[in-house]
Amino acid sequence: MDLALFSLGPTGWGDELIAGLDLTLRLAVTAIIAGTALGLVSALAEITPVPLLGRSLESINMVLRSVPELLVIFLIYYGAAIALAALLAPLGFTGFFEIDRFWSGVLALALIHAAYASEVFRGGFLAVPKGEIDAARAFGMSPLLVFFRIRLPLAFRLAMPGLTNLVMTTLKSTPLVSAIGLQDLIRVAGDAGQNTKEYFQFYMATLVIYLGIAAVVLVLQTRSERRLFRHLRVGR
Amino acid sequence: MLMDASTLLAYLPVLLAGAVTTVELTLFTLIGGFVIALPVALARNAQGSAPRWFAHGFVFFFRGAPLLVILYLVYYGLPQIPGIKESPIWLLIARPMPIAILALSLNSAGFLTEIIAGALRNVPAGEVEAARAFGLSRLQTFTRIIAPHAARLALRSYGNEAVFVLKGTAVVNFITITDLVGAANQVYFNTFDPFTPLIVAGVFYLMIVFAMLRLVKWAERRLNPWAFAAPS
Repeated sequence: MDLALFSLGPTGWGDELIAGLDLTLRLAVTAIIAGTALGLVSALAEITPVPLLGRSLESINMVLRSVPELLVIFLIYYGAAIALAALLAPLGFTGFFEIDRFWSGVLALALIHAAYASEVFRGGFLAVPKGEIDAARAFGMSPLLVFFRIRLPLAFRLAMPGLTNLVMTTLKSTPLVSAIGLQDLIRVAGDAGQNTKEYFQFYMATLVIYLGIAAVVLVLQTRSERRLFRHLRVGR
Repeated sequence: MLMDASTLLAYLPVLLAGAVTTVELTLFTLIGGFVIALPVALARNAQGSAPRWFAHGFVFFFRGAPLLVILYLVYYGLPQIPGIKESPIWLLIARPMPIAILALSLNSAGFLTEIIAGALRNVPAGEVEAARAFGLSRLQTFTRIIAPHAARLALRSYGNEAVFVLKGTAVVNFITITDLVGAANQVYFNTFDPFTPLIVAGVFYLMIVFAMLRLVKWAERRLNPWAFAAPS
């Protein structure tokens, strides 16, 4: 391992790698937050008794869960500009859209994250014991209050293990955005490898960084689950 | 606006060739992943702590690392092993396809190990004891009692993992193999129409997923005939 390769400044690749890591993390965090929120909305729409809406959302999510992430990324990056221009054409718009790579990547990963999160949330909502809802209603809570005080918190707790698994999945999908030219961690490592002919060392460093993030997520997951389910533990 | 029939007709052979590559990669990865995962799963359930720790490390490593990173490491790392270019193995791995299958199999094995090990652990101890009491050898107990029962338990999760393998094969585009996504991409660069090729490719992926789910359903019937028997 040649540490000079990873030094900061003009001779080493340390600062470039940090910039790449920064982009990867920003992309992942934005996509995960947006995707989780979207997934919650989609799950709520699926469990409300509006027939057509739930079914169509379910099919969209099924498609998003069946096709490769790369395909979604390409479709959004290439397609969004054309689709936007076509939508605005009736208003007399004849220009050309420059679609931001970062936000195309975020949108693609967020949509895929939402497709899985929706399933997880739906499972959570369906697993809320009916007795708790009946009890809250019997206490005179309005349906809205029941939702915010009983159903949502309980569903969130039940969904939590699944959601943290999804965080890992989406984190591991982030390198795919390098396909649309984003200078993320793996792309920078590749550039560094090309310049120095030390591909293996730079990809090894990338691997260590990703495994480090995975370890942190794993620890947070165990901790949060211990906290969320502490009422179920017997003895201590 | 979304679909263009002439583009579709002209480039359908390109997309079909890509689909064949994707299916090939998926099949070989499923086989390779299973071959790697089975011994690791046995180590995961072993008595000794050394094999258990090895299996834990293996699972953490291949589940925690992004598939693309593993692919690049194998693709750029293998040729750097001293002496490998003179050995006969080199003839096999000097092409991108076997390298892709190796990387995909290792990644899938990380997930498969947990599935197989969990299923093997959940075979009721009573069944194993009964088989042993009937005089079946350890090997017979494994092949006739434990393995079929574990297969039943693992089937659902295995089906999900197979879909993930299919989706994962798209990373081969990063090492110059043209699969279904790559073919759609090529059509886009030739026609500047992203929707037709990418949506058709998406439909192909959906068809493959549906075929996989049908296979899992069929296997479920075969493995649990009593649960699906017609009421008499």
